[in-house]
Amino acid sequence: MIQLRSVSKSYGNIEAVKDVSFSIEKGEIFGILGPNGAGKSTIVNILNTLVKPDKGDVIIDGVNIKDDGDTIKLIMGVVPQEIALYEELSAYENLMFWGGLYDIPQPELKANVNNTLEIVDLSGRKNDRIKTFSGGMKRRINIACSLLHNPKILVLDEPTVGVDPQNRNHIFEVIERLNNDGMTIIYTTHYMEEAERFCDKIAIIDVGSIIAQGTLKELRKVSDVKDLITVKLADSGNEIISRITSVNSLYKFDGTTNTLKVECVNITRDISIIINHIQNSGGVIERIYTQGTNLESIYLKLTGKELRD
Amino acid sequence: MFKLFKKDLILFFHDQRSVILTFLLPVILITLFAFAYGSIGAYNGRSEPVKLMVADMDQTSASKEIIYRIDSLEDINIVISDSAKSKELVIKGKFAGALIINKGFQDSLEAGKATPIELVYDRSREMEIGILQQNIFRTVMSSAGEIVFKKSIEKYLQNQFPDIDKSISDNIIRAAIKNSNYTPVIKWTSIVGEKNDTKLGLIQAVAGTAILMLLFSVAGVGTSILEEKENGTINRLLYSPLKGSAILYGKMMFAFFISILQLTSMFLFAWLIFNMDLSVNIPALILMIIATAFAVSSLGIFLAAVAKTRQQAQNLSTIIILVMSAIGGSMIPLFIMPSILQKIALLSVNYWGIQGFYDIFWRSLPLVAILPKILLLMSIGIVLTLASIQLFKKRVMKL
Repeated sequence: MIQLRSVSKSYGNIEAVKDVSFSIEKGEIFGILGPNGAGKSTIVNILNTLVKPDKGDVIIDGVNIKDDGDTIKLIMGVVPQEIALYEELSAYENLMFWGGLYDIPQPELKANVNNTLEIVDLSGRKNDRIKTFSGGMKRRINIACSLLHNPKILVLDEPTVGVDPQNRNHIFEVIERLNNDGMTIIYTTHYMEEAERFCDKIAIIDVGSIIAQGTLKELRKVSDVKDLITVKLADSGNEIISRITSVNSLYKFDGTTNTLKVECVNITRDISIIINHIQNSGGVIERIYTQGTNLESIYLKLTGKELRD
Repeated sequence: MFKLFKKDLILFFHDQRSVILTFLLPVILITLFAFAYGSIGAYNGRSEPVKLMVADMDQTSASKEIIYRIDSLEDINIVISDSAKSKELVIKGKFAGALIINKGFQDSLEAGKATPIELVYDRSREMEIGILQQNIFRTVMSSAGEIVFKKSIEKYLQNQFPDIDKSISDNIIRAAIKNSNYTPVIKWTSIVGEKNDTKLGLIQAVAGTAILMLLFSVAGVGTSILEEKENGTINRLLYSPLKGSAILYGKMMFAFFISILQLTSMFLFAWLIFNMDLSVNIPALILMIIATAFAVSSLGIFLAAVAKTRQQAQNLSTIIILVMSAIGGSMIPLFIMPSILQKIALLSVNYWGIQGFYDIFWRSLPLVAILPKILLLMSIGIVLTLASIQLFKKRVMKL
């Protein structure tokens, strides 16, 4: 459905996007994960033909954006990072205005508006002015405005920034519903848990370059990040500690916190082996913590830095 | 208390708009008013001389002497022409007044009869007329009387006492002139605005104020483009199939429409409440409203295009609009300004707009005579629109 081939874009001396390539299949949710300023919005603007890449090709639904940018705009809906709405207009007026830009016949547009209001669960507030809405409700209308022309592809640029958990879940449900209906979704975010929750594939971007991409499983493999089991031991003698750690170099003991850290491939499978080994060695377990491999640890491993809000 | 004071002081100086409105704008306006009312910067500390048309139909030594004396006055600059042309230029607003010395002037003077001399003037320019009146009456006409009186006594003495001593003759003439109260009468004729009932102040109020307020409201429309840029709606519009130029034209169309609506409403208000006669020249009025609205709306959009942020646009608009209104005739009569400011005033929309409406309602000029002003306003609009398009492409539509 979407292919980026060696795309680069610079602004003066700043390379906003460097040799980026990825492909997205029809009906996929593709996450672009990276900190602010990593180049996510530039990629979104390249996809929507607003920014011309200096190098590379972008093929969307079989059309090269260099050849027919207008068609791309018709098959793509973009939800901007900002709440780009007219506060003094009602939700309905906003939707009619934004949908009207696509030359949709009035009866069809009205039907689309009502349908979209239902999707974002705001039909009851359709005649209220946007300025009376909460931040989360505005975000939902912000999404709704990009759905009115029934796009095949929806690009969401950080759609949950500043949204409370309840509204965030509401937005997730909308995205999942649209995806279930067959819509291809590109989702840029710097929230790990969002990318983890529903992205089929994720591209990790940092300073304009994609460092890794694939499914979560593939990313885990590429990054070589392991699950971690941390065992807090009751006071134990050196002899016991030595007995535990001598078996395998993966057992690492931290004397200051009296904890044992073990990297493993599969927590569920390995935890009982580790517990048995400690107990058989004479160790007494006070507490056990487990940390599975997640996007955060993968990102940390790949970039050497944490992804913060 | 001191901490609060310090905090407010810091906030104040961080707020560019407050600093500009508090210090820069008053300084600019004071400078302009000082130039205008205080004649600062003018030659010899005086106001710019008033231009007076003079038509000498008599072509006698007396008429030439009068013209010479008028020309030697510092407050008046004369331009020689014929009678018809002089009247036409006063009617068109090019000159405040014209002195027409008709045939038989010298004969009438010598005969002590009513002199055929007339000052035709535009009473809307009362300050200039005041200067003309003061100078012509006090200086020139008393001199004219003196010339003629002297000539007639000289003639009499030569006829009656051909051998009289020159010094005695001069003493007699001096004494006679001193005791004479002969003053020729000038006919004063207002030739502008006599055909309509509209009061002069009303025209100034409607035209001057309308354009000033129109500039502010249109600047607001222009600034809204930058507001849309800042809140992301411009980018969202660009995500749609709309072209960037269509967004700009849409805004311009709105600014133009609002300008027409506002100007029309003001004239209708003046008609309803103050009985301003709008039927004087309807085609010219419609064209002037369109041309003024176009020039003003283009200026509003241009100001927004020049600025990088909404804040900057607001500051710039306030300064430009007030300064332009001050030099364009909305606040200060043009003729009392230094000539350099009078030339700059020609660049202001206010000047051409106000003069155009004066042409319609005060001078009752035909459409053909008003067309140059209409075309000039349209040209200002076109130039500003083209400049705005280029600036917007570079600044506003850039992601």
